[in-house]
Amino acid sequence: MERLLFAGIDEPGLDTLEVYERRGGYQALRRALQMTPEAVLHELEESELRGRGGAGFQMAKKASFLPKGSMDKYLCCNADESEPGAFKDRELMQKNPHQLIEGVVIAAWSAGINRAFIYIRGEYVLQADILDAAVAEAERAGYLGERILGSEHTLSLVVHRGAGAYICGEETALLDSLEGKRGNPRLKPPFPANQGLYQGPTLINNVETLSAVPHILAMGGADYARLGVANSTGTKVVSVSGHVQRPGNYEIELGIPSREIIYGLAGGPPEGRAIKCWFPGGSSAPVLTAEDLDLAYDFDSMAKAGSMLGSGSIIVIDDSTPIIDVALKVAKFYRHESCGKCTPCREGTNWTVTMLERIDAGLATPMDLDIMASVQDHIIGHCLCVLGDSMAMPIGSMIAKFRDEFEAHMEAARHSSPLGTAPPDTAPALIQGAV
Amino acid sequence: MPRPRPRPIRFSIDGREVEAAENLMLVDAAKHGDVEIPVFCYEPKLGHPVGACRMCLVEIEGIPKLQTACSTPVKDGMVVHTQTDRVREAQEAVVEFLLINHPLDCPVCDKGGECPLQDVTFGWGPGRSRFIEPKRHFVKPLELSPVIAIDRERCILCYRCVRFSQEVAEDYQLVLLERGAHSYVSTFDGHPYVGPFTGNIIELCPVGALTSRPYRFRARPWDIEGAASVCTLCPSQCNVELTVRDERVMRVLSRQNDEVDDGWLCDKGRFAYQAVHVDQRVTAPLLREGGELREVSWERALDHAVGALARAGARTGALAGEGTTNEEAFLLGRLLREALGSPHVDSRAAAALPAGLHRALCHPRRQATVPDLEFAHAVLVLDCEPVDDAPIIDLRIRKGVRRHGLRLAVATSRPSSLDANAALSVRFSPGAGGAFVAALAAALTGADSEELAERAGADAGSVSALAELLRAAEDEEDGRREVVIVWGERLAHGALADQTIGDLVALADALEVHQAPGAGLLELPVHANGRGMREAGLVPDAGPGLAELGPGQAGRASAQIAAGLAEGDLVALYLLHVDPLRALPDRPAWERALAGAATVIAHAPLLTDGLREHADVVFPAEAYPEKEGTVVHPDGRLQRLRPGIAHPGEVRDGWRVLAELARRLGTDLGVASAGEASAQLFAAVSFYSGLTLEQIGGRGLRWPEREQAATEFGEREAPPAPTRDRAPEHQPPTLAGAAANGALHLDSYRSLWSAPEVQASPSLAFLHPQQRAEIAPADAQRLGVRDGQRVTVCAPTNGQPAAGQEGAGAREVQATVALRHALTPGVVLLQDGLERDSANALGDPGSAVEVRPE
Repeated sequence: MERLLFAGIDEPGLDTLEVYERRGGYQALRRALQMTPEAVLHELEESELRGRGGAGFQMAKKASFLPKGSMDKYLCCNADESEPGAFKDRELMQKNPHQLIEGVVIAAWSAGINRAFIYIRGEYVLQADILDAAVAEAERAGYLGERILGSEHTLSLVVHRGAGAYICGEETALLDSLEGKRGNPRLKPPFPANQGLYQGPTLINNVETLSAVPHILAMGGADYARLGVANSTGTKVVSVSGHVQRPGNYEIELGIPSREIIYGLAGGPPEGRAIKCWFPGGSSAPVLTAEDLDLAYDFDSMAKAGSMLGSGSIIVIDDSTPIIDVALKVAKFYRHESCGKCTPCREGTNWTVTMLERIDAGLATPMDLDIMASVQDHIIGHCLCVLGDSMAMPIGSMIAKFRDEFEAHMEAARHSSPLGTAPPDTAPALIQGAV
Repeated sequence: MPRPRPRPIRFSIDGREVEAAENLMLVDAAKHGDVEIPVFCYEPKLGHPVGACRMCLVEIEGIPKLQTACSTPVKDGMVVHTQTDRVREAQEAVVEFLLINHPLDCPVCDKGGECPLQDVTFGWGPGRSRFIEPKRHFVKPLELSPVIAIDRERCILCYRCVRFSQEVAEDYQLVLLERGAHSYVSTFDGHPYVGPFTGNIIELCPVGALTSRPYRFRARPWDIEGAASVCTLCPSQCNVELTVRDERVMRVLSRQNDEVDDGWLCDKGRFAYQAVHVDQRVTAPLLREGGELREVSWERALDHAVGALARAGARTGALAGEGTTNEEAFLLGRLLREALGSPHVDSRAAAALPAGLHRALCHPRRQATVPDLEFAHAVLVLDCEPVDDAPIIDLRIRKGVRRHGLRLAVATSRPSSLDANAALSVRFSPGAGGAFVAALAAALTGADSEELAERAGADAGSVSALAELLRAAEDEEDGRREVVIVWGERLAHGALADQTIGDLVALADALEVHQAPGAGLLELPVHANGRGMREAGLVPDAGPGLAELGPGQAGRASAQIAAGLAEGDLVALYLLHVDPLRALPDRPAWERALAGAATVIAHAPLLTDGLREHADVVFPAEAYPEKEGTVVHPDGRLQRLRPGIAHPGEVRDGWRVLAELARRLGTDLGVASAGEASAQLFAAVSFYSGLTLEQIGGRGLRWPEREQAATEFGEREAPPAPTRDRAPEHQPPTLAGAAANGALHLDSYRSLWSAPEVQASPSLAFLHPQQRAEIAPADAQRLGVRDGQRVTVCAPTNGQPAAGQEGAGAREVQATVALRHALTPGVVLLQDGLERDSANALGDPGSAVEVRPE
């Protein structure tokens, strides 16, 4: 399997300019700077590279939305990788920071941008330190700053550390946070490509997306597009975690069977256990089951199966874990991270957690499952950003696919509960006292 | 920034074809088709929609997801559905979500009966909740400030109050703390939310989370009536709705009039109604007997007043101020001029201005309006502080800068609260406003401005930069230039008032304000109805309608009235809603005048120092909620005051008392009702002619827009500034007679909170200011004083002990030092308009004073 982003990833010292250059680093930038921005953008277009952050929007298309002209334009690299199950950007930044910086400089050139930021989650202290050092190195070497490598391209790059909020990975919340405000999502439109950071046109891309850019320039967009499958071109770094024997990041060509990733690369679940369900794209993706393991791992196949590829983070759950534990874990995460700006997400995540806790405590009836499912329906598509959907979609899928298990759990919990004999639906006051 | 010119389009809503302006938000456009879309967070006054509450989800054909109607601009041919099952389910879901954590305590909630959440729940809610878990709990209610209570359990986190604080008042005090379902509204560090405009969040709150502490539990919506009137506590003259229960004002709400107030009120306007019903209110005539004011019958008070006035005759002076209505001012003028034969009337605080200059200033072609502040290309704030002088104007200017790209310039002697929003701020020496205007006018007309700038104590480069900024404030497309100059009346307080006003008019003409409809001058008068009183003829040099007086008919201006009383040329003083010790410059002169006057007759709703000590007769006066009459907004808008409550005690209408006095003095003014007083006024003021109260109505009417005004003042061209001797007489600022060690220039301002009404209102009294001596840190170091230290500020003594200056007329005040980095070194800034230790005891701005530790 071809490795691009992860080529030589474990080579000692790859995070230094010396090793990176020795491995051919910054050659793609030299090439790009000899081309016109339009030609660079054309290569990116040819590559059909889709965003690796979660939404999967075509990168070149997004860049082409930026208005032409001499106004201040910005590039923000979204390195606020905070989704449960996602850890690919961490390794990319930690081990190969220059690959990202090179991608940033090229992408900025293609869209006429002079100011760039890497918004990195605050918990990535080590990675942020590495990036800071790499940026300083790149500046000294003339890969950043005024008239880069003697070209017309000027770019300043600042590494900005977040303060610990998942929501700041949402692109507009990221912008607000970067501007020094409370990191809350903005209403769209206007989209960041028109009015983003400081009201200027802004291109926002994920770490992996930008890290792929030097490779596209090096091999040519058309060749890159030959990797993978139609509409899901190129390679993808997949973070596999959960009940697998070899969790970790694997670079794959998009479109290979999911089974090959989970069993072939990650070694499958521990001996004697079976896969109950798996998240194909981080904790916000609707769960799939063992029946879906032969699906091709690409954007369209996952969407067709009712889930999504998202950030490419596979979480495997085996049959040793009750589904209610999975649901509670997911719901609690999103309740904790909901910014509170819009009603359905703020109230819906909270309500879902309290209902799940009640189910777990044996104080619920199957009717509560219907209510919970309807609450998820009321969240999906009604929120200001996708955070609410990110909880409602997996929870909804779990209720739909594991209803029997939920009901059995409810029944069992009801018998072991101290209030088990009291019919819960007729005594809300009693419930309040108990919870 | 050009005003929006809406283009009409057609769209369909619930099967109805409706016409609306393009890009109007769907929520508003839907109203054209009689469709109501429920909202919580949407409030156009707060700026761009945020789409947070998700209540307004609707279906638009061609868009798969439901859209928020509050943030979707309507387009031609759009097809919108608000009654489909999908929309209904989404709206019911949002109501259900909102009620999850909302206590259903409507029967004991102050908002009950006038609560948008209640209404929306009834109209668009599912009718029952499926939520049986415990609700979120907070300690409640808490004081968000002395006037606002916050109940966080009721809060639905719609963001309105936070947006108001951040984006309208720009005080940046309110924030949301925590996140998700734990979010709550607070000030950043838990300090009370105190500022000039905080009360607006009570009205913005769509639930009972933010309630007025003075109003809490005083009435339910079905107990009260609304009465429309106009607040006359400052020149902003905001339109208000008084909440009345049993002849008492319980609350003041905004009655949105975008031409005047944009739907906001300041906290003085919102809470100072309490002063209407306090025990210290004067509700019966008072007569000084045996050195003390005692309540007497109207008959005795009137008799005494008539006797004194008859004796004084032409040796009477009269002053009016604050919320005196046009009619009262007009009748006071007639009482003095016709019944007593005295020309000595004034409603200004400075030297007289010739009628020609008054007319040049209010020429319709030179007149800017309040909305002009929003859409002009540039606004110059000149020698005034809108937040203190007319607070709602401050909000308008902020809105213009924030939303319409207005270029703001500030030229003042003291640091301005608008400096942060200004493209350019220029400082000049205290009291040198006149010299500054002369310098700026010279710079704009291409004359030499350097020497004048120096005399104004301003940086010559900044003056040229300011001139350039104003000259260059042109529309990129059509080259129009709309510049508005907001100036404070005190600019015309100096001895060179006529020269300064001439320069100001020349300045406006150099900017060709008469060529652009959205440009002009906007004066912030000292008194709430300063403009109306002048137009009604209550100035020494002009009659009603600012008409020229005949030869020999000119009277004394206020300063000369003071001198006349002190020297015995005048013997009686008539005060309508004004206490000169508090409101006028040069307190020592007025103390001598009041002591020298044989008779002082006053109309006042509350006793202040000057009246308490010197008035012989005090007529109980109406507070504004009791008044009937008209006032004039600084932009020429005539507005009606209508009585919302009955007169308390023995209070009588002002016009009735004036007419009665005139009748007893042998002159029948022919006024038997408030309507007749208005009719007489309209007939007497040429540019009001033909007006009726009905035409003024509830929204007011700008007389400069009337045809009569165009006919009278000339339609096209504004007349050039009256010619005069251009010899610059402005003296450079000096510290004449000051001791070498430590004399400072006095500068003064009147705080928004220095009014007697604030002092008398229980829940606002905490804001009534104490005197502070603001000085630059460098000066503090030089003088050896610390922040918070008590000092005496006094006229220079040249090292001599201040002998013989004890007691009345002492030129000294006590103050607490407050260090202020932004202040120009060499200046001490004090407050005016205070009951005691007011800056007017020391002299005019620019005077030399000393600061001595106590």
